Amino acid sequence: MRETVKLISMEGFEFVIDREAAMVSQTIRSMLTSPGGFSESKDGVVTFPDISTTILEKICQYFYWSLQYSRGKETEFYIEPELTLELMMAANYLHT
Amino acid sequence: MSNNNHNPRKKNFQIEAFKHRVVVDPKYADRTWKILEHAIAEIYNHNASGLSFEELYRNAYNLVLHKFGEKLYSGLVTAMTAHLKEICNSIESAQGDSFLEMINRKWNDHNKALHMIRDIVMYMDRTYVSSTKKTPVHELGLNLWRDHIVQSSKIQTRLRNTLLELVRKERLGEVVDRLLMRNVIKMLMELGELVYLEDFEKPFLDASAEFYKGESQRFVESCDCGDYLKKAEKPLAEEVERVAHYLDEKTEAKITSVVEREMISNHIQRLVHMENSGLVKMLVEDKFEDLSRMYTLFGRVEKGLATVRDVMTLHLREMGKQIVTDPEKSKDPVEFVQRLLNERDKYDEIITKSFNNDKTFQNLLVSSFEFFINLNNRSPEFISLFVDDKMRKGVKGSGEEELEVVFEKVMILFRYLHEKDVFEKYYKQHLAKRLLSGRTVSDDAERSLIVKLKTECGYQFTSKLEGMFTDMKTSQDTVKGFYNTHPELSEGTTISVQILTTGFWPAQPTVPCNLPAEVSVLCEKFKSHYLGTHNGRRLSWQTNMGTADVKATFGKSQRHELNVSTFQMCVLMLFNGSDRLSYKEIEQATEIPRSDLKRCLQSMACVKGKNVLRKEPLSREIGEEDCFVVNEKFVSKFYKVKIGTVVAQKETETEKFETRHRVEEDRKPQIEAAVVRIMKSRKVLDHNNVIAEVTKMLQGRFLANPAEIKKRIESLIEPKKLDLADNKLLIRKAAEIRRLCDVQFDSSIIGVGEICKAVICLEMAASRIKLNVKELAIQFGCVRIITTVQKSLSAYKERFLASLPVSRRANTDFTRPVFTAAAFFLCARKQKLKVDKHRLIEVCGTSESEFSCVLTSMMDLCFEFFGVSKEKKDPKELNSGQGLVDVLPKKRRHDDSSDDEPSCYKREKKMEETKLETQQELKVLA
Repeated sequence: MRETVKLISMEGFEFVIDREAAMVSQTIRSMLTSPGGFSESKDGVVTFPDISTTILEKICQYFYWSLQYSRGKETEFYIEPELTLELMMAANYLHT
Repeated sequence: MSNNNHNPRKKNFQIEAFKHRVVVDPKYADRTWKILEHAIAEIYNHNASGLSFEELYRNAYNLVLHKFGEKLYSGLVTAMTAHLKEICNSIESAQGDSFLEMINRKWNDHNKALHMIRDIVMYMDRTYVSSTKKTPVHELGLNLWRDHIVQSSKIQTRLRNTLLELVRKERLGEVVDRLLMRNVIKMLMELGELVYLEDFEKPFLDASAEFYKGESQRFVESCDCGDYLKKAEKPLAEEVERVAHYLDEKTEAKITSVVEREMISNHIQRLVHMENSGLVKMLVEDKFEDLSRMYTLFGRVEKGLATVRDVMTLHLREMGKQIVTDPEKSKDPVEFVQRLLNERDKYDEIITKSFNNDKTFQNLLVSSFEFFINLNNRSPEFISLFVDDKMRKGVKGSGEEELEVVFEKVMILFRYLHEKDVFEKYYKQHLAKRLLSGRTVSDDAERSLIVKLKTECGYQFTSKLEGMFTDMKTSQDTVKGFYNTHPELSEGTTISVQILTTGFWPAQPTVPCNLPAEVSVLCEKFKSHYLGTHNGRRLSWQTNMGTADVKATFGKSQRHELNVSTFQMCVLMLFNGSDRLSYKEIEQATEIPRSDLKRCLQSMACVKGKNVLRKEPLSREIGEEDCFVVNEKFVSKFYKVKIGTVVAQKETETEKFETRHRVEEDRKPQIEAAVVRIMKSRKVLDHNNVIAEVTKMLQGRFLANPAEIKKRIESLIEPKKLDLADNKLLIRKAAEIRRLCDVQFDSSIIGVGEICKAVICLEMAASRIKLNVKELAIQFGCVRIITTVQKSLSAYKERFLASLPVSRRANTDFTRPVFTAAAFFLCARKQKLKVDKHRLIEVCGTSESEFSCVLTSMMDLCFEFFGVSKEKKDPKELNSGQGLVDVLPKKRRHDDSSDDEPSCYKREKKMEETKLETQQELKVLA
């Protein structure tokens, strides 16, 4: 169960997170579970040539925070204002 | 979203320009689209493994983002259509059996591809499609598939036929690839309800109907009913299974109904009436399994059970009618009833076992039995005889519980009877005979049956029967008491007496009989003992119902104890005195009536094994000149010999007729009582309703004949044939008394005729209308004047009598209510109490004129009590007594009673006009 997936940003940074956390994003989820033999589901690696590292990092944090929140721990998720725009676009892309 | 600069919130921040600049040119769109198109093709060719989802997703995302959603969508459509066309071709070219396989395979592929494509263009699905209201991708895919493949003309028909062919094969017993079928049909279902219904279900149902029509026809011609039913069960189960395996569950109900229709409803009539194996045969032969199968199968179909019910009812009624009207059967009532019980048991069992104890069938059993039991109007008698037989002999080889069970069943039969009162009459007779001859097997059984009857019909039904039991008990105590007080009598001949209360026991005429000396002495002693303790009663010996135990010595030393009837005992005792007696001598000595004597002699002389007497000449018939001798050679195995028991028999024709007649007579007052009861509560009711209500009320006892009811009503309306049409109150009272006397006891005993009875009742009614001052006072609400009235009344009486010449004094009758009423009225007036004069007149049953006469007379004579005004007359001056006495009418006249009952009120009005006339009348009478 404790499988991991690797998310790679545009700069080539690799973020290794739990599969469960990654599934928070609908897009990543369908990527990984799509019936066709897409490379992503086979390798467990997803590249995002459009998303920068900082943003991707924030996104990973968000995944974990979301899991926590759904388990009951209600904390706040702080977003630095300068990241907001890019973050929103990424969110739209990732359907999160 | 193109290059827009985000205004920095803080001045020292600077947002960097976007890293990825998207070139907004159509070429980009085309390029992106090409990539996607290529990807789709790969997907359809099962080459998707090399692709990167993310890349494709991003491309699709960008296209939509840059407002090329339209292009993407339409491109998608075209691409998919093209691919599907290819697939269509390949499917069409598939050979024979692999056609279905091919479809299945291609369908699976298509689904997979569709899924992938959908994932890739999910963004478009989310945004573009919802904003432009186009069909989402998944649905789009299905629709395309449907349009191009399933509904392509060639494939469509071929698909349908293949499927149906497979189904047919399976029905004929071949094994078919069910999984394949399931998948294909699932495909159809997924394509939409309509597709499934149109393309598959309808033709499926039609084909099935055809198939089963053929099948059922075949079966019906070749099998009998039972087999057919077995065969019919199978398809039902089969089809349900088929549906479970590879059809949509909604089809289940439809296919079941098709099968039912074809196999069952179309053939119901034929099956049920099938000769040699139809319903009737099954019923007769107790084919439980077949019947229950029929029940379940026909139960599914609308009119199935109704048909079964109808046929069964007919059959039952026919069969019942045969049993009941068969003259052979009527000869032995016990057999008759037993047969009925058996039949009932049989059908009850059938209904419980095969028909699931269905209420409707129970009801039809009840109604059929009711129908034919009442066809034979001797049924009540026979049932009573059956009970009698069982009570005397018990049920073979079994104890109390068995008897209980039998009686329960008899009660059920009893409920079917319409003429329960006929049964009551017979039962009373038979019970009396049983009790008196001491022949009941079990007292408890008797009592429990009576309790059952009571619960069924109410207290009235069984009150007399219970009275009979009480009598028996009391008699036992009385006899014990008798012997206690006369201990010397317990030596020698002993008697045991049963004292029967007249009302409870069936009426018997007393038959004369000379009892031998020893016996009569005892009887007298007992009688005096009894009358000593209960005076005011009258005892009469019923010699025709008694029995006696006689010790006899035959020949040298043959001693036997003979149990004989009282008559026979008298005859036998005669032989103590002389050896040889002629018929005439016997008749003279005993004074027993001819027919009874002949019968008891016959049973003693002519019956083999019981011939304690020898008759000369040796013939069955008793002639006047025959002589009788004691049979010295009488032998018997037993010490105690029973001779000539009085067994309850079927009645002879005359007896039957008589009993029936009596029953009819008894019914009349009951009908009348019912009518009166109903009218009292309803006051006004139309004719038909009256008849309906009366019939309902009397249902528990007998089925009332409407013509009879009508006659009774008429007899109630028309006044009694005596000349008192005026006074309805009196007549009503008399009628009531008359009815009471009819219902309460069997008035034939008193031996009074109809007219006599009526007169007696009238007399009683008339004399009952005595007025009590107290009653009057309470009725009119003036209690405080009671004493005054009484005083004044007595004073008036004195003075009136004083003024009469002596000769006439005896004739006056002051108990007549008129005087009380008049005195009451006057006192009340004096005290200024309001008393309704007319009501008073009505209550005391007098006439206006008479009343006023009495008033005047009283006023004149007893002024100080009544008088208000100054009028005062010297008593002596009055036309004393004369006019008054004569005025009191000896015979009422019909004043103005042409219409019904003008009450006092109306008469008052008329009176005022005709006052002159009345006074003239008075004068005439005087």
